[in-house]
Amino acid sequence: MLILAVMVSVTVFSQAKITVKGSDTMVILAQRWAELYMKNNPASTIQVTGGGSGVGITALINGTTDICNASRPMKQTEIEKLKARYNTLGVEIPCAKDGVTIFLNENNKVSELTLKQISDIYTGKIKNWIELGGTDAEIRLYGRENSSGTYTYLHDEVVKDDYASTVQSLPGTAAVVNAVKKDVNGIGYGGAAYAVGVKYAKVKKDANSTAYVPSPETIAKSQYPITRYLYMYLRNRPTGETKKYIDWILGAEGQRLVTEVGYFPVK
Amino acid sequence: MKKLLAIAIFSVISIYGFSQTQKLDSLMDVIERHEGKLNALDDRVLVNEADLAKLNKIKVSGYIQAQWEHYGADLEKTNGYNNTFYIRRARVKFTYEPADGVKFVLQPDFSTGNLALKDAYAVVNIPKLKNVTFWMGQMNRPNYDVEYSSSSRELLERARVTTTIYPGEREIGAKLEYNGIKIPVLFQVMMMNGNFTGTQAKDVDSRKDVMARFVYSVKLPSAGVGIDFGANHYFGSNLAKTNKYVKNSDGTLDSLNNVWRYLDKHWTGGEIRIYADILGGMSIKGEYVAGINSIASTVASSATMAQKKASPNLYNNFAGYYITLVKNVGAKNQAVIRYDYYDPNTKLSGDAANNAINYKTWAFAWQHYLNDNIRITAQYTMPKNESNASNPSDLKDNLFTIRVQAKF
Repeated sequence: MLILAVMVSVTVFSQAKITVKGSDTMVILAQRWAELYMKNNPASTIQVTGGGSGVGITALINGTTDICNASRPMKQTEIEKLKARYNTLGVEIPCAKDGVTIFLNENNKVSELTLKQISDIYTGKIKNWIELGGTDAEIRLYGRENSSGTYTYLHDEVVKDDYASTVQSLPGTAAVVNAVKKDVNGIGYGGAAYAVGVKYAKVKKDANSTAYVPSPETIAKSQYPITRYLYMYLRNRPTGETKKYIDWILGAEGQRLVTEVGYFPVK
Repeated sequence: MKKLLAIAIFSVISIYGFSQTQKLDSLMDVIERHEGKLNALDDRVLVNEADLAKLNKIKVSGYIQAQWEHYGADLEKTNGYNNTFYIRRARVKFTYEPADGVKFVLQPDFSTGNLALKDAYAVVNIPKLKNVTFWMGQMNRPNYDVEYSSSSRELLERARVTTTIYPGEREIGAKLEYNGIKIPVLFQVMMMNGNFTGTQAKDVDSRKDVMARFVYSVKLPSAGVGIDFGANHYFGSNLAKTNKYVKNSDGTLDSLNNVWRYLDKHWTGGEIRIYADILGGMSIKGEYVAGINSIASTVASSATMAQKKASPNLYNNFAGYYITLVKNVGAKNQAVIRYDYYDPNTKLSGDAANNAINYKTWAFAWQHYLNDNIRITAQYTMPKNESNASNPSDLKDNLFTIRVQAKF
């Protein structure tokens, strides 16, 4: 009974303030969720920070965050660490959908890419825009740091090989967008919500397929080839205020914000 | 007058224009100077980034386990003291990842009076086979209790059966591992020298031992439950170099035709772990293993027949298991109970077993995580040995330990 009382009190105490850490792709969305939720629930405090999906997952394992935002699924090695420390497999909550967007400068003549071409660009096999029907200019590669879920997702699902050493790693999708905006020969990738001042490349599975830009329709129908879920991860099944917050995120108001920010609702 | 005024205005404009041009020139100079500085800084940042990228490929981690132990009366008689401070482990692990899918690991142990190489291996992702890795060097044998790092383990030491059949945990050999992502399967097969206890640089015989392990994971997310279950098999041998006599598990004495014959050792194990998200997480972990373990006689070749018969090679049918319950209490505490059993010779019991007696051990532990780096554990271990003529009563060998682990 005493142990039970301690466990319950510890659980209740840990719900007083919710910390959210992780994906930079999701940080704006997470901040908007937190702001609106705190406005409607003044007694709640939700603290949101970015750092990348890898950083968020490490924080979840270390116990320094209540919720981890991740733009990729947890790896088996990370689940094993969670099992070793907390004896749970963690709780995965898909909370939005995103199309990993390939950013091109607005003056770039190229507007369509196949998955193979994206892979060849980021592994350094295609080095010049002329090989893709563009101008005779060297392709400049912008990408994310290896703690980023988008970095890992694109690597695992599209690139499937080592990134070229010439990829300039930037801290956050906003920085990638900014770099491509200023560089006519640049290419970058990131979440759709950040794409202001650059153009989206249409992406197709192969040369014979139809190319799509990420949009609510193409994401919902899984036509856009680089569609992924955005996740929230917890150590244990949510209770108390955390459950209330997550239910709100998955509800109408939370999902409306998903659309407003530029991502796509899960329902 | 008009002429004079025009000259004056022209002069003023010229001087003003000249000064503006001068200002513009100097501004251009400043911009160029700063541009040069920025370019130089850019170059330096690129060099630093390249250096940092190299350093990022090297990871250093490790842990120190300092503890205080208090022994039961019989251990006090053996040791000559009933308590001691002790550095159980002091390890630094260096991992170098020169490229995606390639890893080198080196882990020495610096605990007092016991400098030892624990791990030294290379891991390579097999090209085109995404989830298959090839390992070579000195590494853990493929077994759950062995591979579960002592820095993460909930109890201070492994179960008695594990430490007996896998002495030192490590072996020198090569391993193939498949770790499925879409299909939650782990498959490991390792070929090894088979006689490693921590000191032999090379094998002591020509035959290699083989161990294979298979684990399947099931997730039931709606129930908050995960189950890992699997099996493993070990097949190896020991070389009888000096003595042809073999004592079987039932106590009968046999003879090999000659020396330089191999004594089989083989066993099969089963494992299960259930993780449940109940009020903060809990798990039940168990493993059962049974088979035949052989021990080669160390009697001298020149010994008499009687001496050789008195110290024969041994075939022992053995069995052992453990079951551990771990309950998280809040985010910072864990309560742990384990029961483990080990019988080195299942064919004999009572007086006939002589010193091959079985052990039943209870262990109770409470762990507190001060923070991510520091864990404090209090554990009470109660081994109960089988009694017989050689071991008339249960030894008073209970052990209380307080350990502080610092991990980085």
